[in-house]
Amino acid sequence: MIEFNNVSKRYDNGTEALSDINIKIEKGEFVFVVGSSGAGKSTFLKLMMREEVPSSGTIVVDGAVLNKMKKREIPKFRRKLGIVFQDFRLIPNMTVFDNVAFAMRVIGTKEKKIRRRVPFVLSLMGLNDKARNFPQELSGGEQQRVALARALANNAEIIIADEPTGNVDPQMSYEIVDLLMRLNEAGTTVIMVTHEHSLVRCFDKRVIILDKGSVVADGGTLIREAATSHINAASEITNEYVVPPEEDYSAYVEDPATAQPDSDFIMMGEEFNADGGEE
Amino acid sequence: MGNIGYLTKEGFRNLKVNKLMSIASITVLFSCLMLVGIAFMLLVNIQAFISGIESENVIMAYVKLEANEIETALVGDELKAINYVESVEFVDKETAYAEIKEDFDENLQAYLNGIGENPLPDAYKITVSDMSQFESVVNSVKTVHNVLRVRENSALARQLSGMRDSVTYISAGVILLLLIVSMFIISNTIKVTMFSRRLEISIMKSVGATNSFIRWPFMVEGIIIGIIAGLLATGAVWAIYEFALSSFTSVLSTFGTIPDVQFIKYAPYIAGAFVIIGIFTGMFGSSSSIRKYLKERKFVELEK
Repeated sequence: MIEFNNVSKRYDNGTEALSDINIKIEKGEFVFVVGSSGAGKSTFLKLMMREEVPSSGTIVVDGAVLNKMKKREIPKFRRKLGIVFQDFRLIPNMTVFDNVAFAMRVIGTKEKKIRRRVPFVLSLMGLNDKARNFPQELSGGEQQRVALARALANNAEIIIADEPTGNVDPQMSYEIVDLLMRLNEAGTTVIMVTHEHSLVRCFDKRVIILDKGSVVADGGTLIREAATSHINAASEITNEYVVPPEEDYSAYVEDPATAQPDSDFIMMGEEFNADGGEE
Repeated sequence: MGNIGYLTKEGFRNLKVNKLMSIASITVLFSCLMLVGIAFMLLVNIQAFISGIESENVIMAYVKLEANEIETALVGDELKAINYVESVEFVDKETAYAEIKEDFDENLQAYLNGIGENPLPDAYKITVSDMSQFESVVNSVKTVHNVLRVRENSALARQLSGMRDSVTYISAGVILLLLIVSMFIISNTIKVTMFSRRLEISIMKSVGATNSFIRWPFMVEGIIIGIIAGLLATGAVWAIYEFALSSFTSVLSTFGTIPDVQFIKYAPYIAGAFVIIGIFTGMFGSSSSIRKYLKERKFVELEK
């Protein structure tokens, strides 16, 4: 689904943000991307969204070679992505409903479809009763769920979340990652950039660790533990990166025995396509 | 495209949301257009004034005394055939003589009547349609058979024609300059608007809105600004013109006849031109700044 082949990115000012990165993410995977600031996380995301072009190497997302992509093809490509920002990016003078609808309107979706789709994605995020509220009337966690609903509105195949828990309290952070997990179970590829190791540790998912522009670790639990300590050690020396206080997320972990399978999420994609799909 | 409605609505919403910016743009464009309008009305008046003087600058062609009636009529026909001649008016010698005598006192009139002879020749009063061709018309008139003498004022015609040209060029220059200034200012205003709306633009780019979709509401905004500014400027120029007319006419009339230039005659043209100019400056101003903005700005980092 996503392939980085020998990708390097050097900015015009000479900064080498990424050097010789090789990453392959399969369809339906859930990946955490972890690293201190300046490790190249945001460059990694920008390259994936075709906001930047690599200096060398190739990037393939869903069969499209991003290096060769023409400018006018970018908008169409971006519609496959659902991007969630750390700062929510909600429009303050629009209601929750309109914020989600906005993402659909600006790509030319018909109003009839919007009226059906928006309540649906809001219900997935548990925001049905907030549709008429304005963003500033919501908590940070709720705002981020609105942003997530917006990312889902256009039925994205890939969710890219850039520090989605950065401005959210711990319990909400857990819930947001949990929502991402459920979306992932419904088939969406999820890439979440974060620096909260303790949060990552609660979920048994693939972790890619970036440091100084290189992949220092890539894999499951064991590698992750090793890599986390690597980062922690590195940050102590450079003092650039302060490890956030360890949050005990285990309290929020649902007991798998009592957890209900969420049928809404399973039918998520089908509902949208039943309308005749995009365009 | 079924989205025109939505995009246009967005344009109007932009205007409302950015009330201050919109008012600023409208004011700036309005001021520029108003100056353009005033410059234009001034030009029209000066030209009318010059035309007034020019229309009094006629060519008199006197017919030889020995010419008979048929030959005199032939002179008239020949004169009419000359290029750029607007009108040819026959002034028969009896009427002319009677007119002249009217101005004299009674004794002199009685004396002249006593002589009974008319010393004047028949004449033709010729007006010229294009004043820049005045001299060539004069030369043609001189070559007409049986023309005794031509009375004209080429020097005045030359001066007036030169004056008209320079007034036209200067006004055209001023108007062009003002238009360029308005376009520049509009483009800057839109740039500021775009910056103030970078949040929305960043979202639009991130969800894959096409550039034309992002651009359209801003274009609508620019067009609306143009239309409003254009109509306001027309009204303002009208008011200023009427005011100037009423307060200056009495003063200026001491210098000569004031041409009667009615604003209402030009109002539809001015309003039309202003709205079109407004739309174009609004559109170009916005499209150029948007294009630059969309090219330079990334959506991942929002400038604060």
